[in-house]
Amino acid sequence: MNLTPEQMLNGRRNFLRTIAGVPAVAALGAVSLAKGPVKGGRVRVGFIGVGGQGRALLSRVDHSYVEVKAMTDIRPDSLAAADAVLQKAGQPPAKHYTEYKDMLEHEDLEAIITAPPLWMHATIVTDCLNAGKHVLCEKMMAWDRDGYHRMMDAAKKNDRILEIGYQRNYNPIYRSAFDGVMKTGALGDIYAIRLSWARNGNWRRNVDPPSKDYDPSKWGYPTWDHLNNWRLYWRYSQGLFAELGSHQVNAANWFLNSKPARVQAMGGVYRFKDGREVPDHVFATFEYPGGITGTFSSIESNAFDERYEAFFGTKGTLIIRNENDAMLFDEGEAAARPTAVEVAPKGAGAALETSETKPAQAGGSAAAKSQQTTEGAKTISPSTYEINAFASAIRCDTPLNCGPENASHSASWTIAANEALKSGNIVAIP
Amino acid sequence: MAQALTRRNFLSFDFGDRRTADDHWIRVHRVAMACRFEVMLSSSDSGDIAAARAALDEADELESLLTVFRDTSAVVDVNRRAAAEAVTVDEPLFALLARSAEIHESTGGAFDVTSTPLSRCWGFLQRDGRVPVAAAIAAACASVGMHHVRLDGERRSVRFARPGIELNFGAIGKGFALDRMREILRRRGTRRALLSAGRSSVLGIGGRGRGWPVDLRPRLAGGRVGRLWIKEGAVGTSGAGEQFVEVDGQRYGHVIDPRSGRPAAGVLGASVIAGDAATADALSTAFLIGGSDLARRYCEAHAETLVVLVLDEPARPTQVFGEYSRATLELLT
Repeated sequence: MNLTPEQMLNGRRNFLRTIAGVPAVAALGAVSLAKGPVKGGRVRVGFIGVGGQGRALLSRVDHSYVEVKAMTDIRPDSLAAADAVLQKAGQPPAKHYTEYKDMLEHEDLEAIITAPPLWMHATIVTDCLNAGKHVLCEKMMAWDRDGYHRMMDAAKKNDRILEIGYQRNYNPIYRSAFDGVMKTGALGDIYAIRLSWARNGNWRRNVDPPSKDYDPSKWGYPTWDHLNNWRLYWRYSQGLFAELGSHQVNAANWFLNSKPARVQAMGGVYRFKDGREVPDHVFATFEYPGGITGTFSSIESNAFDERYEAFFGTKGTLIIRNENDAMLFDEGEAAARPTAVEVAPKGAGAALETSETKPAQAGGSAAAKSQQTTEGAKTISPSTYEINAFASAIRCDTPLNCGPENASHSASWTIAANEALKSGNIVAIP
Repeated sequence: MAQALTRRNFLSFDFGDRRTADDHWIRVHRVAMACRFEVMLSSSDSGDIAAARAALDEADELESLLTVFRDTSAVVDVNRRAAAEAVTVDEPLFALLARSAEIHESTGGAFDVTSTPLSRCWGFLQRDGRVPVAAAIAAACASVGMHHVRLDGERRSVRFARPGIELNFGAIGKGFALDRMREILRRRGTRRALLSAGRSSVLGIGGRGRGWPVDLRPRLAGGRVGRLWIKEGAVGTSGAGEQFVEVDGQRYGHVIDPRSGRPAAGVLGASVIAGDAATADALSTAFLIGGSDLARRYCEAHAETLVVLVLDEPARPTQVFGEYSRATLELLT
């Protein structure tokens, strides 16, 4: 979003200013009811897929909720890196598996946290659910619609919990924006939203194979690059609409309490003609019932426009930038009365300090830091809340924030957007 | 609702109404009256953000009514005309004038909203403190005194008995605004909030458990004096820690005793806990001026008032007077 520093400062003052050092944190819903180990002890978990995203989740595990007993990956280098994550957290090593079916058979697990390449989501998750495990699956939900239907059916049939890893649902900025702005109607009527995720870089990963004779072909990857850069191949990936766009559409669907009905799209491999299949530039326009139009764009050639979700209403504009910085701009007369909202962890200190008024405050600094007493407050990632909520749902039947139904809507948008991009047609979203 | 969900119906349930937990503060704030007005909510009450904004609108409204820095304010209008004629004012301003007169009376004149000529005389209006000559102080004193302000409740009008009188609600206006904000929040169904204006005026509504934790930290006290737990009620704090002038090694604070025309001395910080923020604000100024004797006498005559004074003595002792039932004071020893 092309805003001047002054505009951004003003917007933050207007709403939801998160300050540096204040983490994107909130204990959410049921999770806050259970501090530390949930009733019944830690949930015994196995990881399937400990590549970049799997290890990111592993590093955010609160080990008072979850006991990581085993890990599966077809790449030995990923398993070794995951060992280091556990060691750094002071946890005992977890047993290694190459085949997840072996892990399901031999380990006494209650739940699986999984982040494999997208094309494997449905198969792995369905197998885990059928084996009686609860599953937290990284987004996007599944490569195709048949896949996510199979996942939901398996969860229902086996009465197991299935959560999809859209971490915005567990982010206090989004939750406060939803409660404080969207639900209260502060934006008035919304007819337009804009989602952007702009980067300037090659999506390609340059990593050597674990060994010279490493052969991933038996798992469906004819070359090392097909595995290492699976995101760049249609067979395994749904491209930028999936990896980036579905996050933002998931949040937009939540905020608008709706799901888009049709989409058109453009894009292509414009910059990195290196053999990749999925576009490095994508643009989609989509429509919600009742006349709300959204746009999503993701480009790999310029990062100026950053990453944000913007909601444009008749009374105001809400922009959430980089998942940690929310701004509200009033329309019309109210714009002259900027209001700020900050969200900060409570900590153990006082809510306020009181003293005689300081004349320097007359300047109106929005962040009177000395007024904030957040001593004892802890930094917690939204992913940690997500995993804790998953564990609490297993132990205490408490609800989750995203759920497979909502996740399937963003997956359906993604699949339709790619169909639209490839065909040039306007595509209905089931 | 959420607790009643079973795992099975969770699978098909749309969580449009996802709950937010209780371990964060939400601070909704805006600049008004040259300071930060804030409504603090617990994160489980994030639905009250709209009510908080409406309450902050009220602070804006009152500022345009009370400010002496804009020619268009009602107070400027009164100051300009009331020596010549009775000026009818709107309800909030009349209520504030009436309350100011009551507190003037009950504090033996230590609280006085007409002391502007004295502040000007000592240079504090211009933020350029100086020690005036005695004749200048005497001249200023002649134009100061709530007894020169005649209120007519039936006509809701105000008239000055002599020229040169100036109203300034700097020592009570922020607290008054918090009280009005409390009414708006209550009307809109907000049950819990911690309101503040600058650092000096605080008003707690519906504090759970022991109440809202608020630390007392007068600037000249050299640290935290104690912690208040407010279930329902206000705390106002006055001191000379930030606005003062030093001449020949003598420190003169910005709060002038309207009875003597000289800066208040002997108290470094005064905090008053009372049921409403206007009273707490006004009394904190009165006791900064009137010291222990006035605080003791006032508390003997008035229930539900708790006073914490930090005295300007080498040991900086803290004195406490009176009592207040809906807050707990923990003094640091």
